[in-house]
Amino acid sequence: MPAHKTRLFAVIYTPYYRLQCARQKRLHALPEAVTACNQLELSIENSMVESSVSLSVKVEEDKPAALLDAEGTRIIEVNPVAAAAGIEIGVTTSLALARTSELQLFASATELEHHQQSALLQLCYRYSPYLENTAAGVCTLDLQGRKGDNQEWWARELLAQWRSFGFIAQVGIGPNPEVAWQAAKIANPFLQVTAASSLLQSLPLESLNPSPYLFDILRNWGIRTLGALTRLPREEIGQRLGLEGLSLWDRAAGKSKNVLKQTQPPETFIETVDLEHRLETLEPLLFLLRRFLERLSLRIAAVYRLIAEIRLTLALEDGEKIVRNLQIPAPTREVEALFRIASQYLDTVQTSAPIVGFELEAIPSNPGQNQFDLFQSGLKDPNRFFQTLARLAALLGNEQIGIPEKLNTHKPDSVRLRMPTFDWSGTDQAKHKQLRIGVPLRRYRPALPVEVQLNKEKPIWICGQTVTGQVRVARGPWRTSGNWWNADRWDTQEWDVELEDGALYRLAFNTGRWVIVGVYD
Amino acid sequence: MPPADKIIQLRKILAERFPQGTLPTSTFLSTGVTGLDHSLGGGLRRGAVAQVVVPHPSGGSALLLHDIIQTMQHRFVALIDGKNSFEPLAETPFLLWLRCQNATQATRAADLLIRDGNFALTILDLKQNSPRELRKIPATTWYRLQRVVEETRATLLLLTRYYISGSSYIALQINEHLQMRDLSQISSVISDSLPIEFLYRKTFVEAEYASA
Repeated sequence: MPAHKTRLFAVIYTPYYRLQCARQKRLHALPEAVTACNQLELSIENSMVESSVSLSVKVEEDKPAALLDAEGTRIIEVNPVAAAAGIEIGVTTSLALARTSELQLFASATELEHHQQSALLQLCYRYSPYLENTAAGVCTLDLQGRKGDNQEWWARELLAQWRSFGFIAQVGIGPNPEVAWQAAKIANPFLQVTAASSLLQSLPLESLNPSPYLFDILRNWGIRTLGALTRLPREEIGQRLGLEGLSLWDRAAGKSKNVLKQTQPPETFIETVDLEHRLETLEPLLFLLRRFLERLSLRIAAVYRLIAEIRLTLALEDGEKIVRNLQIPAPTREVEALFRIASQYLDTVQTSAPIVGFELEAIPSNPGQNQFDLFQSGLKDPNRFFQTLARLAALLGNEQIGIPEKLNTHKPDSVRLRMPTFDWSGTDQAKHKQLRIGVPLRRYRPALPVEVQLNKEKPIWICGQTVTGQVRVARGPWRTSGNWWNADRWDTQEWDVELEDGALYRLAFNTGRWVIVGVYD
Repeated sequence: MPPADKIIQLRKILAERFPQGTLPTSTFLSTGVTGLDHSLGGGLRRGAVAQVVVPHPSGGSALLLHDIIQTMQHRFVALIDGKNSFEPLAETPFLLWLRCQNATQATRAADLLIRDGNFALTILDLKQNSPRELRKIPATTWYRLQRVVEETRATLLLLTRYYISGSSYIALQINEHLQMRDLSQISSVISDSLPIEFLYRKTFVEAEYASA
């Protein structure tokens, strides 16, 4: 007999989400908060297979806080401490402040709410590809395919990751989305329930958000909890309260037939902050940069992508915006590598006014595929290498560094340097040591001008600033020419000469003068 | 006897009295030049600086350089060319060539590259740089490079015309005078028969190897 398969759903619920977003914005916006955050105890362990994040943020959870509406006159969301102090949603600001003088008021951060909702979906995608963007701060996961009874470990991992974004949330797991959501609302911070759970039955009727009309009727009947409602016969409820009543009964009994409106996590990875105080030094900006990169890296890892480019936007006090796209040579999600690249750029930035806003966007790419053979190995740290390359270019000049490449010409010393890629594809891996004849030349760049004395058209004496002496043996001449049809015309005759001190030089005669082009060494 | 020679003599005596312990093969990076590998005891040591001195203008240093580069087909090699004198012969897709104008630039570039840690071998070729230039490099530079090399487990090969660095674990001298007839010989035959002499080799205690 086949085993009965029970479907499971999980809901991650962020209570008073908008208020938490507003608090996050405030935390980032204040330089003193940034400085205080330097004292945060942060430990992140991230691996390809498993990621666990723990972050302890000293958020002032014990203080009453409330979110203001767009006009700033009424309270639209409160935290539990404020609710306990008697502040209700909808009261005016002055009334709320009269209740408790410690009340912290926050303006809503709509843009941040949107970005963080994207982040939540991206984090959830790591645990299930079947997601529903249920509400602000709420995401429902269909756990089909996730085997095993123990769902707690990953739920706690997800909570820890979401916590690292500054959010306190709860996870509930149940046989359908409705039950999972009800469980999430009362979880601390994790709760797995069945439809017949007594815990759910004891929930107040308000938890299902019935219409006021229906709610009043049920209250008049003396129905206060979901359990009380489900003890009434379903058919009788249907006869008296219609379809809405039936739907409410089903939801209360955990028999809701709602299906998920599946969605994919957005492909945008943005972290942004509008600073309330202007920044004039680099240190707080670097702190924000690191924090944003940690978050973006976590989000990108959750959707199994890498960061190929960072778009960095600095908003200045005078209204100007500095936007810079930083290419990541070898796409990665390693925070240290990304931080090095971005901070190196920030070190060089000079702004005309203080910074009042900062935005970081990560542009994702798919992981590359590279299969090395037994003797091959890639660069240990490609991003570090390209940083080193930039430093070397600053020291020597761009055109002085690269992989030598011979040009398709017989013209002597025709070589160019190309930008290193160190890509194994397209290289002849089976190349063996080639048989070489002769001795390589060390070139003088530029060639050394010399006076040459000839005897029967053969050099017998050389006199130059650094090389002088009698020619003991001379071989040549070897005449080469080319490009006679254009301005790059060249025509040269070369001699190999051995001087009396035993040194071997290559001597050339071109454009009417003698030069030593190199020494055989 | 000049002080430098005294130090060399002293090191020779120490090398004889405290012979070198056997190192695992993975500690060495083969250069592909039989004679040189033999003299080095298996190859260039990882995490150390080796110096090859070629006093004669046509002493075979470029020959050695090309052979080493060609051997390292599947490894990343950086060539810091102190006087922009390298002449590429074959296709070398894994060679990073840095064309410097003077020795100061070259040592700075070497510092950056060794710290990078991505290269199996870094060759600092100062053969064409004048003694005056080389004398301007403070001794501390060589010790700093040695420390960085130890830390990153990189390998630095120093090619010079004169003995300059006291921080290298080994210094070899090639006393070759190439002749006109060598220009038509097979290069590997010439390089394998290069006369290599020890200038000095530092002695190491076994414990130091163990920690390496």
